[in-house]
Amino acid sequence: MRSEPLAASIFEGRLHPLTIAFGLLKAARGIIPAIPLLLLGNKIYGFVLLAAIVASTVATALARYFSFTYRIEGNELITQHGILERKQRSIPLERIQEIRIEQGVLHRVFDVVDAKIETGGGEGAEASLSVLSRSEVERLRQAVFERAAKIGADAGLTDQTAGKQVAATPEPIVIQRLGLRDLILIGLTTNHLISALALAGAIWNFAQEHAPESLRRRAGNLLYRESSRLFAQDTASTIALVILGALVVILIGAFFSTAVAIIRFYGFTLSLANEDLRRRYGLFTRRSSSLPRRRIQVLKIEEKLFRRMFGLATLRADTSGSHREHRDDNSGRDVLLPITRRGALGPLFTTIFPDFDAVGTEAAEWRRVSRLAIRRGAIKGAIVCALAAAILFAASQRTAALWPLALLPLIYFISVANYRNMGYALSERYFCARRGWAGRSTHIVPINKIQAVEVSQSPFDRRLGLATLIVDTAGQAYTGGGPQISNLPLDEARAVAGALAHRASATRYVENRRLKIEDRGLKIEN
Amino acid sequence: MIEEEIKPFELADEQWRPATGFQPLDSRVVSLWRVSYLIGFGVLLAVLLIPVVAVGVAEPRALLWPAFAWLALAGASVWFCLWYPPRLYRSWGYRIDAKVLETRSGMVFQRTRLLPLSRLQHVDIEQGPLERMFGLAALILHTAGTHSANIRIPGLEAAEATRLRDQLIEIGGDDAV
Repeated sequence: MRSEPLAASIFEGRLHPLTIAFGLLKAARGIIPAIPLLLLGNKIYGFVLLAAIVASTVATALARYFSFTYRIEGNELITQHGILERKQRSIPLERIQEIRIEQGVLHRVFDVVDAKIETGGGEGAEASLSVLSRSEVERLRQAVFERAAKIGADAGLTDQTAGKQVAATPEPIVIQRLGLRDLILIGLTTNHLISALALAGAIWNFAQEHAPESLRRRAGNLLYRESSRLFAQDTASTIALVILGALVVILIGAFFSTAVAIIRFYGFTLSLANEDLRRRYGLFTRRSSSLPRRRIQVLKIEEKLFRRMFGLATLRADTSGSHREHRDDNSGRDVLLPITRRGALGPLFTTIFPDFDAVGTEAAEWRRVSRLAIRRGAIKGAIVCALAAAILFAASQRTAALWPLALLPLIYFISVANYRNMGYALSERYFCARRGWAGRSTHIVPINKIQAVEVSQSPFDRRLGLATLIVDTAGQAYTGGGPQISNLPLDEARAVAGALAHRASATRYVENRRLKIEDRGLKIEN
Repeated sequence: MIEEEIKPFELADEQWRPATGFQPLDSRVVSLWRVSYLIGFGVLLAVLLIPVVAVGVAEPRALLWPAFAWLALAGASVWFCLWYPPRLYRSWGYRIDAKVLETRSGMVFQRTRLLPLSRLQHVDIEQGPLERMFGLAALILHTAGTHSANIRIPGLEAAEATRLRDQLIEIGGDDAV
């Protein structure tokens, strides 16, 4: 091991020898199901083919292990593999956003990990180092980020203290640790109906693949017969049954989502090491990732209905490199902190954003949009209801078909709730916006991360002198789009947009925020 | 029911100018848009003409309504090509205020976009065959954003586009992701 990874010399490394074993195991999972097929026909040919496949698999695994190297050369991390055809990939160090670590059950037995290197652009991980020993990953991570920081310091872009910070690598400071109670809370405050439906879907899929046709049909018939027998009884017991059924579904959903929360987030720890926010979590597959906090583009505080009722919130963060790898990513990468008490948010903000100067979620600095928002929301909802009622009435010609009109008070209530939750707060360095009605979501954007600001007006907006303000940042994959505030008075929207754009233009995007703002952020040249 | 707590809006340190001083696009862009819309509608009308002709060949007596509809559509297209471009042209404008580029556009849905020039990733100049005929060019400004990752300013005079590009890049400096 090199004692001085910061030197201009080359940092080199290889994969762990277990790479071969894991490679073989992965290949075996693909081959074993095919064995009966291969041996079905001509036994000799089948054997030859099988032997060939096994041999090539072994050769691939060996080749991967023996040829795969990575090194830091100059400003780049270079990975190289292949024997006949050398494939080399170089990743500029300052582009590396995150080295993400995944550790499956088997990985944990041998204390090795999969490391994925993520950069600002492209789809998926830029490079995947599989498998490495845990100490090697730590060494790599340290070398990469120290060197990147040094490059930045050399270019005179980071502040002077960066050098000192790099020199001493303190123990990570634990910001928040989730206990079993928190995980159960996550489970209990998830939407149970959706969990139950997901569970039912999973069972259905499993049944379709694995259960024989006759069994499924019999189960379906049984369900149908029993339920029609139950519904044939008198109304009171039918209602009781429906309620009981709903309760059972909710219970199953709650149990299921609690189990999922525990499996996914067991032992969740969020800690801060130097500039990096580190997360470690997972019951079976252990995951850990580190995220330089200056890379956070948008922070989102999500208070869904249930959680909000209990004063709980979820924190999400987007980095310029974030993009969803799969439609439903089960790894929990999208959350920075799965659950936290609303009261704990204030200190969290200052940990995540060291120069946070904006208001908390509950402070009175929030500015509201125009009250016309209530009227507009109610009218919009009323039109939908009226249309629905008209269509239903035209179709059935019965007064009972006018039931959508009964929703009007509810729509008014929703519009009022919408208005009360919609708001924004602007400080010297941060822009906060929130919206929602039953639940609520709050976006916090560091002004130096703003890429563009937009003020748009529909013809209706124009009649009322209102406008929508949209703030654009990089990489909005996990926060569901950036802040968007509608029904702002036009002059106010323009003024806020102008202030945001001017303040943003006076800051540097990537580099140390505080330094730059002191340098030139406060005086905006005309 | 709702407590009144809307504060008067004030921003102490920001200079905010009224929305004036916007540069218009080159006025030749009106003709450019007219021609390109005409081509677009022309293709559409030509495609629609096929069934009309087919009806005319198969059943000449049933031709009246399809032919009438087609003619009405053609008339509407021509009217639109004459009517819309000048209005779109008037809605367009851009200005550079300190270190912010501001564009406004849209006749029905009006958008004002502000781009802090230090966020500019790169700038493209685009010149299609039609634009070359009119001596015009479009400027495409790329940011690292998600929602509006690029802003397009059409219909600039070719030399002005180059000049504007250089100016924007110079103001922007080099602030990469």
